Amino acid sequence: MIRMIAYNLLQMLVVLGFSPLVAGILNRLKEMVQSRRGPSIFQPYRDLRKLFHKDQVFSEQSSWIFRFTPYIVFTAPLFVTLLIPVLTSYPLFFAFMGDMLGGGFVLALGGFFAALAAVDAANPYGAMGASRTRMVGFLAEPVFMIVFFTVSFVAGSTIPYIVQQAWVHPLANFFEPSHILLLLAFLMLILAEGGRIPVDNPAGHFELAMIDESKGLEYSGRGAALMKWGGYMKFFVLLCIFLNVLLAPWGLAAGTAPAPVLLAIPLILLKIFIFLLVLVVIESSLAKLRLFRITEFLGAAFIISVAAMIMRVFTF
Amino acid sequence: MESLPIKLLENLNALAGGLFLLCAFGMVATRQVRGCLHFFIAQALFLAMSAFILGALLHSWDVLAVGVINVITKPFLIPWVLQRNVRGEMYSRREIDQLLNIPTSLLIALALAIAACFLALPLLRAAGGGGFAAVNLPIGLAGLLLGAYTACVRRQAVPLLLGLLAMENSAFFAGIAIAPALPFLAEVAVTFDVLMLSFIVGLLTRTIHEHIGTTEVGALTTLQEQPQP
Amino acid sequence: MSLIAILVLPLAAMVLCLVPLEKISSTLAGWIAPVATLLAAAAVLALAIGDSLHVAAGNSIIAIANWIQLDGLSALILLLVGLVGTTAALFSWGYMARRAHGEKRRRLYYVHFNLFFFALLAVPLAVEPNLVWVAIEFTALFSVLLVAYENTHEALEAAWKYIAMMFMGAAIALFGFLILFWAFKLGGGVTYTWAGLRAAAPHMPPVLTKTAFLMILVGFGMKVGFVPMHTWLPDAHSQAPSPACALLSGLKTTVALYAILRLLPLLPPNHTATWLLTIGLISVGAASFLLLQVRDYKRLFAYSTVEHMGIICTAAGFGTASGYYGAIMQMLAHSVTKSFCFLAAGAAVLAVNTRQIASVRGLIRISPAAGAALLFGGLAIAGAPPFAVFLSEFSILKAGLMQGRYLATALLALFIGIAFFGILGGLNRMVFGRPMGDPPPPRTRLPFTCVLALLLGAVPILVLGVYQPRPLHELLNKAVATIHFQIEPGSRNGRRPAKRTTVGLTRRTGRPRTPTGKAP
Repeated sequence: MIRMIAYNLLQMLVVLGFSPLVAGILNRLKEMVQSRRGPSIFQPYRDLRKLFHKDQVFSEQSSWIFRFTPYIVFTAPLFVTLLIPVLTSYPLFFAFMGDMLGGGFVLALGGFFAALAAVDAANPYGAMGASRTRMVGFLAEPVFMIVFFTVSFVAGSTIPYIVQQAWVHPLANFFEPSHILLLLAFLMLILAEGGRIPVDNPAGHFELAMIDESKGLEYSGRGAALMKWGGYMKFFVLLCIFLNVLLAPWGLAAGTAPAPVLLAIPLILLKIFIFLLVLVVIESSLAKLRLFRITEFLGAAFIISVAAMIMRVFTF
Repeated sequence: MESLPIKLLENLNALAGGLFLLCAFGMVATRQVRGCLHFFIAQALFLAMSAFILGALLHSWDVLAVGVINVITKPFLIPWVLQRNVRGEMYSRREIDQLLNIPTSLLIALALAIAACFLALPLLRAAGGGGFAAVNLPIGLAGLLLGAYTACVRRQAVPLLLGLLAMENSAFFAGIAIAPALPFLAEVAVTFDVLMLSFIVGLLTRTIHEHIGTTEVGALTTLQEQPQP
Repeated sequence: MSLIAILVLPLAAMVLCLVPLEKISSTLAGWIAPVATLLAAAAVLALAIGDSLHVAAGNSIIAIANWIQLDGLSALILLLVGLVGTTAALFSWGYMARRAHGEKRRRLYYVHFNLFFFALLAVPLAVEPNLVWVAIEFTALFSVLLVAYENTHEALEAAWKYIAMMFMGAAIALFGFLILFWAFKLGGGVTYTWAGLRAAAPHMPPVLTKTAFLMILVGFGMKVGFVPMHTWLPDAHSQAPSPACALLSGLKTTVALYAILRLLPLLPPNHTATWLLTIGLISVGAASFLLLQVRDYKRLFAYSTVEHMGIICTAAGFGTASGYYGAIMQMLAHSVTKSFCFLAAGAAVLAVNTRQIASVRGLIRISPAAGAALLFGGLAIAGAPPFAVFLSEFSILKAGLMQGRYLATALLALFIGIAFFGILGGLNRMVFGRPMGDPPPPRTRLPFTCVLALLLGAVPILVLGVYQPRPLHELLNKAVATIHFQIEPGSRNGRRPAKRTTVGLTRRTGRPRTPTGKAP
């Protein structure tokens, strides 16, 4: 029991500690693809340290929401970490607190507050970014729902630990059409929710074209650091769900001894690294979509997820 | 029967079905003529994949032959025939018009696909259920409806033709599962028919382009009954 | 052997037409193609008559067992194709000599004409349903370029609509045929022919048979020109050169309908009656009202084709032997009459060089032959007595009344009446009156072959209206028996019997019986 709780906390630490690294590696890879050297992969850590040492500035017009939001954005992914398999293939202590839908809600809560705070600061770009994020969110929501429901059809459960077993036992299940289609749909969701190209350009500095970034423009010092870190962790958590639950549930610790659990840390990092390579190819080969084409992008994701459901429900 | 390779092949067949369906959606949604062609080719290849799997599992040479014919015809011969006749059409225009915008189209297409699955249910039940038809019949029916829908909303000659050919693809996608013993001659004849169709439509499109100056066949509306003056 | 010869003759003529003779001698080229076509068509007609007499005497002709055979209904259709093909080929000679643009294009016309004729002949000869599908599809493919022949804006547009609708219908029908084959195998059938299908029908799952029938009805319905799917028909049938229109309207729609009729014995009539009656009556009704407002006389005849297809479909929907008799009789009468009408329209085009009803007056003075032919054809196709259509429509109405379908019969009679006025109102204005224009168009003489074709074409219209030769009567009865649903002994109402008694007809699906079995 104590061990389970300890592993759960270890998961949180892994997410907390390695999520900036993932962001750093991704940046570095992108720069390398573009024939540039790029910053060190540890740059996000340095950014965070620098921001933590700076003073915060708050607008006089803003309310408590603005001050409170960074903490929610920071903690929401950590809560989700408790629910999902990051290192172990068996449920940990807090795993039954919520299912995948619950995790989705917790993540959405962070997004919700981020949007409120962006409007609260009365920066016009913030409100614009908030409304755009909501638009993407609204369109992504039904896809999330259908993905989760289809998954629950297969596994008979929405607890991620049970789902991941259903895809690979027996191995042939891995090639089930609904599985592959779900993977595709979920990948598109990650691109949309993580604010990646083709939906959003995380490296863009042009406020008018921003979707995700413009929500944090008003933050400074510790607030900005927490918002950034929260964003890194959210991306990490999404990757964990995608990789460990849907795509490749191998390499997770099966035993309760400390050694395999510790060994699982480099394995998950390796998986994420391989996925980042794919992501870099996707990001480098696509152009950012015009704002109103995002509807079509997520519409396609919706179609794919529904096709997955059709394949599951109607063909027996 | 339930051994791993067979189960794996069955799942791969279903996967080919799922991707086949996605290609049909892609043809509804894509904006470029070439994109439409690529989706069509991919669709034909998934049909071939399904045919190979079914042929292997059913030990049916006829079904294998369908796969071979598809691999030869659709990715090579049909694009060749089209490019011979309507080369400019394939490359020049960036975006193609539709009667409806794309999200609406996709939603209608989705409704059609789900309707097709419901239509297939009583048929499967009547046939005693099960078998590969359980995957291929609903998908084929959905592909047929989506192809017809593509042909209805596309106004350009080549995407319209591709929609029609996708209907034939879909008929065969269902056909390899429900009628694996179909005489080989029939398949060859259908393939010949499809090639002839592409050729004639290509020829016609070129003539239309030469004489009228557009290939937007949806805009050809001179022939109709006008009210008496 | 004669069946193979029937198929080979048009192909041989086509090959002869392919030779670019105009480079050697243009006179020779002007003769060879039409003469070869005409000779091939006439030889086909002669062979068809011989074969039909043979079939009428109670024999069946088998060229390649289970692929190419001849029975009552197909003999009738074959006879029809041969007859109409011959008159159209004869008419083409004179017509194309005046209308074609250059020797090469004229030669190409004959190439397509022969190919189209070949495809039309293949439909009744093939007995394997998939092969019939292919043949019907070929009739569409080979006629597209005939529709587009004039290369005008309208002709190209018509050709485009035509090919798109044809292939869409074909794809839907193909799906239907595949389901039919599935049902056939599930029903334990062995030889996949019309006859084998019919033998297996009581054992086939009714849901599958019905679905297949419905898909083929919709798919081939597009090719026949039933009303919601008829939009291409007036366009295509008005834009092609007139002799080709005769084949399109007189034969192509008929052979597609023939394939639908072939499926009737698979289902009890009460299962199909509603669909056939609905589609039929909608077609007749819509066409009869559309007939009132057309302004182009070739389109007038084209809408009349939609109307007649609807009548045949309604008659088949009555589902009794007399209904089927009327339907087949009507097919026969419509083919010979409608092809004559289009030839007459072609003669009128030669005389006045326009297709607008409003711009023609006093055709009988400009060209007595064309005027008389148009009037004769109009009266015959509208259903005036003593012509063939009158007789067949009368027998259909009688069959409807005898079966107690009073509403359908009354509607049918009403629509036929409206169509009568629609057709004759337009033609009346064209034929009589004082020629328009200043000075009025000169008197024109039609080419000799055109007049001859019109005379020949008029013979069956008149004869069938007053007298039915005995072999033809036999053939009609056989044809009715071919498509009449009969309850087989040992099965109730076409449903699957509890236990199969036929030895050797085991279920051969060739498919593992266990379901795919996903993870529980």
